[in-house]
Amino acid sequence: MTERNTPQRTLESWKQIAAFLDRSERTVRRWEAREGLPVHRQGHYKHDTVFAYRHEIEAWTRRRTRFAGKDIAETRPVADDLFQIGASANRYLVEHDAITRTMDRYIAGARAGDGELMRPAFHTEATMSGYCQGVEYSGSIKHVFEWVTVNGPAPNIEPRFARIEIIETIALVHLEVRHWSGKLAGANCRASDVFTLLKLNGEWKITHKLFHWHNDQA
Amino acid sequence: MTPAKSPSQHDEILKTLQLYVDGCKQGKGELMRPAFHPEASSFGYAGGQLAVGTRFLFDWIDRNGPAPDIESRIVSVDILDSIAVVRLEVTNWSGKLAGSGVHMSDLFTFLRMPEGWRIIQKAFHWHS
Repeated sequence: MTERNTPQRTLESWKQIAAFLDRSERTVRRWEAREGLPVHRQGHYKHDTVFAYRHEIEAWTRRRTRFAGKDIAETRPVADDLFQIGASANRYLVEHDAITRTMDRYIAGARAGDGELMRPAFHTEATMSGYCQGVEYSGSIKHVFEWVTVNGPAPNIEPRFARIEIIETIALVHLEVRHWSGKLAGANCRASDVFTLLKLNGEWKITHKLFHWHNDQA
Repeated sequence: MTPAKSPSQHDEILKTLQLYVDGCKQGKGELMRPAFHPEASSFGYAGGQLAVGTRFLFDWIDRNGPAPDIESRIVSVDILDSIAVVRLEVTNWSGKLAGSGVHMSDLFTFLRMPEGWRIIQKAFHWHS
C-alpha cells in the first residue's frame, strides 16, 4: 500500500511503463492490445499520451506471473497447492484473480475488435441479453462475438470492475466500460455489463452477459 | 450500479422472484416458469453434478416435490434501468432429490420486459 504514496504513482509514457515492466515498448503495447494491460489515455485517441497507475500494473502483473510462461487460455488456478497452505484468504485470492484473468480475456477481445480472441473466456453454451437502442437482444453468446468483430477495434476502452462477487463455484462481475468506440458503437459509448461466471474444471467461464448501454456521453 | 432507487421497480422484481420461491416451496416447476424469460438459462452444481438449463430446473423442482420448510432471504437487489441483479439465499430446502436442510445461494439476473421483470439467468451454488 505504501507504494501508492511514493512520488511516482503513475507511469507517464510507454517508455516508463516498459521500463517498469522491464520489457520493450513493443511488448507492453502488445500486452495492452491482447492481454488487458491497464493503460489509460489523456484524450480519446489511440495516439494520445498514455499513463498507467503503478498499483494497477502491479495487480495485473500478479495475476499474470502466477502462471509465467503459460498462455492465458491454458492457465489453471493453482488452487490445490494453496488449499494445502490452508488460509481461506489465499483461496479467495486465487479465485478472485482467476476470475479477473477470464475477464481480461474478454476485455482484450473487446479492445482488439476480435470476437474469437474473447471466445475462450466463455462457456460453450453461454448466452447474452440486453437492450440496444430500445430493441431487446437475447440469445447465443455468438452474437456478442459477431458484434465485437463487426464493430472493430476499440483501443480507448477503459474497463473498471465495479463488483466481483464470488460464491464458491459461481460469480457475478459488474464491469463498467467507458469510451467504447467502433463501427457499431459509434464515437464514444458507455456500457454497464453484468457477467455471470461458473467454475468449470478449475477455470472460470462466463455463462451469461447482460449488457446495458448508456445514453450519456461519458 | 447504485442500490435500488425506485421502490416500484424493486417491488416488481420481488413480485417476480416470489413466483420462483413459491415454485420451490410447492415443488411445482410450472408455478415458477412465468418468472423466467423464454430464453432464460440456468447453471450450477446440484449435489456435485453440473445442472444446465431451465427445463432441467423445472423438472428437478417437480421431481423433488414440496419443500414446506424452505426459508429464503434476499441479500441484495441492484437495478440499473433495464437490468437487475438479485442474490437470494435459501435454506432448509428438503425433498426427494434435495434430501434435507440444503442451503443454496442464487444469483439471478433480470431483464425488464414490456410485460414485467423476468429472470434471464440463474446461477446457483448448492452448499455442502
